[in-house]
Amino acid sequence: MSDKKGRNLEIYFMAAVIVILFSSAVMNYVEMSEHPNAVATDAPTPPAGSYVIHVVATQWEWTFIYPNNTTSAGAFSVPVNREITLIVTSMPSEQGPGVIHDLYIPQMDVQVYAVPGQNNSVTFEPTHTGSYYFECVEYCGEYHYEMRGYMEVVAQ
Amino acid sequence: MSAYVTTLTIDGAIVAIVSIIIFALYLVLNSRKDLISKMANAEGYDSEGQFVRDYVAGKPRELGLSIFVNDDAKSLGMRYIVTSLFFFFIAGAFGLTMRLSLTSPNPSLLTPDEYNVLLTEHATLMIYMWAVGSALGFGYYLLPSHLKVFRDIRGVFSSIGYWLWLLGGALILVSHSSVRWYFYPPLSLQLNQNGGGLYAWLSVLGIEILFVGLIITSITILFIILFDRSPEVKRNQFTLFTWSIIFTIIMILVSSPPIMVGFALLFYDYFNPIFFTAASHSVLLFTILFWFWGHPIVYIAIIPYFGLIYEIIPKFTGKQIFSYKSGVIGLGLLLILSELVWGHHLFNSGLGFAWVLFFSTTSFLVVIPSAITIFNYIASLWSAERIRITTPMLFVINGIIDFIIGGVVGVMQSAFPVNADVHGTYVITGHFHFIFLGITTGISFAAFYMLFPTLSGGRKYDVKLARLHFYFTAAGSMLMSSAWLLGGFLGMPRATAGYFPFFQPYQLASIAGGFIIGIGQIFFLWNMGKSWLKAPSVDNQNCLEQVNVISTEMTGGAQ
Ligand code: HEM
Ligand SMILES: [Cu+2]
Ligand SMILES: [Cu+2]
Repeated sequence: MSDKKGRNLEIYFMAAVIVILFSSAVMNYVEMSEHPNAVATDAPTPPAGSYVIHVVATQWEWTFIYPNNTTSAGAFSVPVNREITLIVTSMPSEQGPGVIHDLYIPQMDVQVYAVPGQNNSVTFEPTHTGSYYFECVEYCGEYHYEMRGYMEVVAQ
Repeated sequence: MSAYVTTLTIDGAIVAIVSIIIFALYLVLNSRKDLISKMANAEGYDSEGQFVRDYVAGKPRELGLSIFVNDDAKSLGMRYIVTSLFFFFIAGAFGLTMRLSLTSPNPSLLTPDEYNVLLTEHATLMIYMWAVGSALGFGYYLLPSHLKVFRDIRGVFSSIGYWLWLLGGALILVSHSSVRWYFYPPLSLQLNQNGGGLYAWLSVLGIEILFVGLIITSITILFIILFDRSPEVKRNQFTLFTWSIIFTIIMILVSSPPIMVGFALLFYDYFNPIFFTAASHSVLLFTILFWFWGHPIVYIAIIPYFGLIYEIIPKFTGKQIFSYKSGVIGLGLLLILSELVWGHHLFNSGLGFAWVLFFSTTSFLVVIPSAITIFNYIASLWSAERIRITTPMLFVINGIIDFIIGGVVGVMQSAFPVNADVHGTYVITGHFHFIFLGITTGISFAAFYMLFPTLSGGRKYDVKLARLHFYFTAAGSMLMSSAWLLGGFLGMPRATAGYFPFFQPYQLASIAGGFIIGIGQIFFLWNMGKSWLKAPSVDNQNCLEQVNVISTEMTGGAQ
């Protein structure tokens, strides 16, 4: 490979890399604007018409508070084809103080930190009924791995 | 809690015994030092340190216990190299134990608490003691030769830096903390088995001490480069390894002050929790201080090895590197851009649209210098008439492949929509193990093999065993990290002592990979033991210390 040929090849290669990166950045921007995730709010104002569930993480359990103020621990259910908003925070329990957790529902593309002293909200819309697993993916102490369960998506 | 007291007592006893042995050794070596001082006086020297340093300067140095009392740059280099190798084996054993416990979906061999302790120590020790330690080691060892230093006068500072670094690492090791390598409060403030562990504060203290050592060392190496190098070595004649160490040091000095303050405030919180508590609404502040350092540290663990690859390739292709200029520019840009991407570790914490957009865009940008560097390697290999496929060269080629895989996954997870799906899963673990095993670990071993004839005073390593070491390490890490990537894409969470049973196939595959790596390291130890027992048979030069020597005859003892 001559010097000049190598230099040209380097330029083409870098140009290709930059084009790929640029298109990824644009796609990233478009996707992000459509699906903002994990937004921190002090006093959350969920979108009107959304089915709002308050989620409280403690060591080591998820508690879900439905719009009608009933609660469920370790598992929850949501209606299908309806916009759902989760407002997530972390609280102390008899096991210990509020620490950072992270609620992750893989099949819904939903991931949001539960931070003590902060409310994070996330919105999604399930389109199929069924049962979906969720888990805590921010290390939160001894029984971190047990903070997992199933979300049931049920017909309205 | 009483279990903690027992383990700490046992640790205390072990530490005490080891200290006594070290003290005895120290006495022996000290009497030898008296002898040296007599010799120094006879030669007309005031200080025996200066005498030793002049006596050994620029000459090949052999590995031996004396490196722990002599404080010339080469001894310091060997001290870091052997210490970091020692910690590599400790932390590696921790990693394998964790894998063993994960064979079943519910914690089996280890209790969740023991798992969390090993998780914390594996990560912390691998990063601070292995990756950083070995980079500093090669820096101290090679720079005096690359820069033809004309004086070696900074031994005292170097030595203080080393001992503080080691003390910090030892405190982390005995603290049994389960704070993970993140040290996130309020968890790290929770001083019991539920949270950070009874002695979590000790690990905070340890890491702060380690940082002080690291800063002293960094400044010392920078001074060696700036003020002690031979005037005939101009800036445009620096080896690429020298540049990589300069950039690494700048990165350490720029990125560590915020987290050192963070650790100090965290320590303060143990007495009076006012900084990182829910009530103060500043829990996320610590995570930001942490990642402002936490991202650069992963590049600190990679740039020196990129520099080493630039030194290794020409020795086996018999040709200069494709482009010196792109080499310097690539590494320099890597330094600048990777200071600006730390937010990509906190995408889902509630940073908000503007910040997330900023950090994902800068994370795309950081790929540009990485691509320049990789292109440079491949072009250098491509344009060579002939490549001698030695063991170090195999490690280099494998490292380049692993880095490409890890880097592509890195760009993918920098896109926010993808990140929401992979953050906190084994995808991340796969991403960085590809890079840490391929580049950091692989290149350390490559350089170690190349230095072997010098370190061992003219011995040859066993090529067959070295090849086995390479093939097991490379194949094992490919299997382990690929299984993690696949499982992670299905949502397999990382840092957990147990998992949903349907993830078991991915866990088992990665466990198999982990054990293949482990077996590979046994070949390494066996090789070292076997080769060291043989009589010296080659001359004790190595080509890694020689600058711009590219003729194929000059490949030293590396096979
Ligand atoms: C090619 C450029 C790279 C890009 C774009 C990149 C991107 C990322 C991103 C976005 C994350 C965060 C993932 C998450 O937790 O959600 C991450 C994590 C990580 N990266 Fe990279 N990375 C790159 C290169 C490297 C290199 C060279 C290393 C050095 C070994 C490295 C080591 C790590 C580590 C250790 C983590 C995990 C930290 C943790 O959470 O424990 N990365 N990387
Ligand atoms: Cu958790
Ligand atoms: Cu990063």
